[in-house]
Amino acid sequence: MIEVEHLSKIYGSTSAIQDVTFSVEPGEILGFLGPNGAGKTTTMRILAGYLPATSGTARIAGFDVHEQSLAVRQRIGYLPETPPLYPEMTVEGFLYFVARLKGLPAGDRTRQINAAIERCHLQEKRRVLIRKLSKGFRQRVGIAQAIVHDPPAIILDEPTVGLDPRQIIEVRNLIKSLAGSHTIILSTHILPEASMTCNRVAIINRGEIIATNTPENLESGLEGSGYELEIDADASAAQQLQALPGVRQVESILAVSSQGSIPLKENRTCLRVTSEPGTELGRDIVSALVGMGVGVYEMRRTHATLEDVFLELTTEEKNWEQTGGGEEAVVEP
Amino acid sequence: MGIVLGNIIAIYRRELQSYFASPLAYVVASIFWLLSGFFFAAILLGPEGVIQQTTQLDLNGQRLGQPAVSIDVPYEFLRIFLGVLGSLALFVLPILSMGLYAEERKRGTLELLATSPVTNWAVAVGKLLGVLTFFITMVLPILAFEAIGFSYASPPVQPSVPLLGHLGLILLAAGVLSLGMFISSLTESTILAAILTFALVVFLWVIDVIAKNLTGPVAEALSYLSLLQHYNNFVRGIFDSSSLIIFVSYIVLGIFLTAQSIDALRFQRS
Repeated sequence: MIEVEHLSKIYGSTSAIQDVTFSVEPGEILGFLGPNGAGKTTTMRILAGYLPATSGTARIAGFDVHEQSLAVRQRIGYLPETPPLYPEMTVEGFLYFVARLKGLPAGDRTRQINAAIERCHLQEKRRVLIRKLSKGFRQRVGIAQAIVHDPPAIILDEPTVGLDPRQIIEVRNLIKSLAGSHTIILSTHILPEASMTCNRVAIINRGEIIATNTPENLESGLEGSGYELEIDADASAAQQLQALPGVRQVESILAVSSQGSIPLKENRTCLRVTSEPGTELGRDIVSALVGMGVGVYEMRRTHATLEDVFLELTTEEKNWEQTGGGEEAVVEP
Repeated sequence: MGIVLGNIIAIYRRELQSYFASPLAYVVASIFWLLSGFFFAAILLGPEGVIQQTTQLDLNGQRLGQPAVSIDVPYEFLRIFLGVLGSLALFVLPILSMGLYAEERKRGTLELLATSPVTNWAVAVGKLLGVLTFFITMVLPILAFEAIGFSYASPPVQPSVPLLGHLGLILLAAGVLSLGMFISSLTESTILAAILTFALVVFLWVIDVIAKNLTGPVAEALSYLSLLQHYNNFVRGIFDSSSLIIFVSYIVLGIFLTAQSIDALRFQRS
């Protein structure tokens, strides 16, 4: 549905994106994840036909975004970084305007606008001036204008920025409900958003795509998944666990709660068992501990999060380039 | 073609609506009405007004025993009044055109227009029609004053002369607004757009003055290009197709430059 090949964009002497290649299958949600200034907005703008690329091609529904711009623009809904709204219009009036602009036939307009208003939960605001809406509602009007003509492809640039946690959940659910019948590409610098809403994630840093995969694969491909244990045994238990097949590492850790480290009771040890990628250790650990006659007080599974993936990938990048500017490592939770 | 027309209408309606929702537009219209009402009264009825002067001429003629000169009072009035109205409009038009694109650029709504299936020139045409309609709305009450004034004229006034004069005013406004729209598309600052458009208006006025005070081929060329000269033709009741062509050329030039400038805006960031 969306195919991007070797896309580059150079502003003067600085390149915003370099050799970006990815594709989005019909009905899929692709998350475009990267720190601020990584080139997300530039990529979105090129896809929406707002900016031309310096080199490379991007096609949406088989049409080149630059060569067949009008055909592409008929088939996309686009929410720019700042929602493009006219403050002196009402929500409904604005959506009618956008529907006409997108060439929606007169007979379908009212139905489609009602559907968009309903989807974005704007019913009680439909006759309110946009000027009087809060940021969250404005963002929803921005999403409504992107979906009002029911386009096959939807491009959302930071759709949840500036929303409160409740609104974020609503917008995520809205986006998920659009998948299937629409192909969606959304950009975000918020990690849980990508892992919760997207089928696939492309991680972009300094204008280059450094990984594309499903959130699950990205997480499981990373070291660090395994278990944390609290047991009444000494260090010899750790050596026995280390001998189990599939165990990468066993280390002694301090028990930590949200208040800080908790002093351990007499004769208890906390261990972190890290597994090789793709192995499941739960059963083996329990049977080994039972075999040793060791008491288990807590056993907790630990996951590598997308945040870890992100930090690992972007930090690696930083080490290679020896820059240490630090701005790309900023990740908002 | 139907879709393009639909797009133009959508842009036109939104633009017009934004003027009627804008306090600034009402302030501008009020000042315009106030001043034009004042000039209307002063030129027609004031101590230096057309009626007084004509009466004075008649009295002088009677005293000296000369035959009365025939003066077409409505025509004289219209010529002076429309001249003033034209100058007044030149001050008002930059304020009307300043926000056409600058505001869209500032708000980020240009990104919506540029990523919708609408061509740049359709957007420009819709916007120009919108602002021109607002200007025509501003002129309508003045037409009503005139209609009332002329209804007392004897012999009755031929409606073609005032109508042609006002058509000239609207064409002059369209030319200036079209160029003002282009200037507005160059910047994100509405104030800067207004100042630059005003500078353009002053420039047009200077061209007109130079053309009037010089002779030779340069002056002739300048007077041919001067919007105000062509406006004066219309005001005098002369319908000259070359004047019409000049006005239309200015309008088309403005639309063309605007469409190009928006295109360039999207490309220059490369």
